[in-house]
Amino acid sequence: MSLDKEEVHQRLKAAVHYTVGRLCQKTGQEHHKEFSRQTIAAIAETSFRQCEIFARDLEAFARHAKRTTVSAEDVKLVARRSTALSMYIQNKSEELNQEKKSTGKRKSKDAEESRDQGL
Amino acid sequence: MAETEEEITFKKETVSKLLTSFFKEDKTRISGDAVVLMTEMIKIFVQEAAVRSQKQAEAEDCEQVEIEHFEKILPQLLLDF
Repeated sequence: MSLDKEEVHQRLKAAVHYTVGRLCQKTGQEHHKEFSRQTIAAIAETSFRQCEIFARDLEAFARHAKRTTVSAEDVKLVARRSTALSMYIQNKSEELNQEKKSTGKRKSKDAEESRDQGL
Repeated sequence: MAETEEEITFKKETVSKLLTSFFKEDKTRISGDAVVLMTEMIKIFVQEAAVRSQKQAEAEDCEQVEIEHFEKILPQLLLDF
């Protein structure tokens, strides 16, 4: 009883749309401007499609490095176009490594759960 | 309703499923760290889209952020990513 690829994408699109809506709402609140529903939908759709581009790039980079698992290094490459973005991602990556070292064990389940925040 | 520390973010699971659904090879997987980093990246993408659209609306003296504003900033957004 496996889900159709289309169904999976529909669900994922809905999940993306939900979070995009919330982010837009927050941005709108901070700058006292509301986002029209059309705009939110358009941003959600574009973000979804951008993920496909990210995914294809990630896979290509991993394959190029003769790996089957996409790693943080691949993500750093994907972020290469903007210096600010690249630095941000590098810093985040170092943060993650620091966390691992300081807890002294594999990425704990606690950290993972706290990130999921029931959205 | 004072605490604004509630951080809006994509669920790791969603991002993981999203990315893996677009992989061409079945055997391609993604590490936990990579998922965390990509979650950040996608969030930044959305935030950039939102803020730039909002600034465009401001520049045009519009009260609401409309799709035209988003369309105008879209080319540069895609180039920047």
